Amino acid sequence: MTTVAPKPDNMKISGGGGYRTRLTDPLHRPFYKKMAPILSIKDLHYTYGSGKESVNALRGIDLEIDKGEIFGFLGPNGAGKTTTIKIILGILAPRRGRVELGGKSPLEAASRKRVGYMPETADYYRFLTPAELLYMYGDICGVERSVLRERIPELFRLVDLEGLSGRLMRTFSKGMMQKVSFAQALVNDPEFLVLDEPTSGLDPVSRTHMRDTLNHLRERGKTVFFSSHELSEVETISDRIGILNRGEIAACGPVHELLGEKSEGQSLENYFLKMIGKH
Amino acid sequence: MRAVLAIIKGMIKDLVRRKDFYVLLVFLLVLMAVMASQNFFQIKGVTRYMRDLGYSIVMLLSFIIAVTFTAKQIPAEIEARTIYPLLAKPLTRYSFIAGKYLGGVVVSLMSFTVFYLVYGLFFVTGGEAWSAPLLAQGFFFGVLFLFMVCAMVIFLSNFMTFSANVTISFLIYIIVSGFSDTLRDSILRAKGVLSVIEGVIFYIMPHFDFFDMRVRLAHSWDPLPAWVVAAVAVYTLVYCLFLLYFSQAVFSRRKL
Repeated sequence: MTTVAPKPDNMKISGGGGYRTRLTDPLHRPFYKKMAPILSIKDLHYTYGSGKESVNALRGIDLEIDKGEIFGFLGPNGAGKTTTIKIILGILAPRRGRVELGGKSPLEAASRKRVGYMPETADYYRFLTPAELLYMYGDICGVERSVLRERIPELFRLVDLEGLSGRLMRTFSKGMMQKVSFAQALVNDPEFLVLDEPTSGLDPVSRTHMRDTLNHLRERGKTVFFSSHELSEVETISDRIGILNRGEIAACGPVHELLGEKSEGQSLENYFLKMIGKH
Repeated sequence: MRAVLAIIKGMIKDLVRRKDFYVLLVFLLVLMAVMASQNFFQIKGVTRYMRDLGYSIVMLLSFIIAVTFTAKQIPAEIEARTIYPLLAKPLTRYSFIAGKYLGGVVVSLMSFTVFYLVYGLFFVTGGEAWSAPLLAQGFFFGVLFLFMVCAMVIFLSNFMTFSANVTISFLIYIIVSGFSDTLRDSILRAKGVLSVIEGVIFYIMPHFDFFDMRVRLAHSWDPLPAWVVAAVAVYTLVYCLFLLYFSQAVFSRRKL
């Protein structure tokens, strides 16, 4: 388990430019964080198709995610969130720009060794049990069997699927599949966790439990990058948020700073709508 | 390698827990029992006919398992969106293709082995002379056949849906098995551009007819010379490597 130094109380984060974390020391002298970000995206472009029918999904994204933070990634449908996530995970190759995950290109399989990903929806292999699925993913990640034997029951306790780990997944509901999905994302004890709509399909109790788990992961120094349409949830757990609109970052920073900069007491929903030009 | 093995293990569990294999096995057992009962009077011609038919059925059932299992692998991963968490793990696309191919091969070979054991039992108890080396050669050629079928199906699944892949694979199997000799004769007769076109088709198509041991088994001929077996094995290896190379090249460029 890795730990990171606690963030100073007087931390200030700039909203524009390259979205770098700007810190001030007790004497209020500005300096920039020395630690390399776990995720660095520079001038990222991505286009689907070619010629007249091409669609610019991403138009020059700059983003840096520091180790140990929870970053909420927001945007309307079609804004480019999923494309960004696929590029971060090495599933798509950027057309232009640079992405570094732990200092390496995500296209290198080794850079994904300590990455966990929970997709918005996935209909996991119905002929397998959740335990078999987690062993399979653990083997793919190269996790030792002895470690898996200890970790997998813990994960089932964490996602509240204890007792169901030996049942075939063909009988599982959407919510139960989401829990399995969350467990598989954690099977390699990831340093960097990417969650796409993690609470979709979960009941209110499970949502609260998920939020607590994410906070717990942050305490353990894990970095969480998650996309969601649940603005209240994003507001509650994110250290910073980024709003993506039409392939560009419309805003980025801590929620309280973003809301404070515009007008006192406005809700994230109003701010979000304003940023995507719907207000 | 561990990642590839993990994918193969998952596919074996799929085979064991689905009904497809058991249905085909029961079907084969019933057919073999019916065929064995027809040979009650030990008529020579009937025994040969049954051996020929039995081998064809075993190959066809193994082909069905190989095609239906392998063809669904990549499209099903994409449709169920399980490909994303899989590729987000430290798994290269090459390993993914290798895992799916070898998984298809292992699953097909498991089924083929069981089917061939049933056939072997029928073969040795049929009342006619039989030779173990010939039976072993029949098995080995079946193994090579399935390596090739799975490579072809994995290659096609880069471009086709499950149902299109199954249909095309069956068409290729039928055309190659039934019309290979006709096509060869046609090339010899053709002239000019037509001869070139037919020649290209003939040499590119997967020669499943090379693995056909029906007649040899039915008539209990001598086993094939070692060099022929080696040549067919090399042909299979080269053909599979080509198909897999192109499969991973196409898949690694595919936008998912």
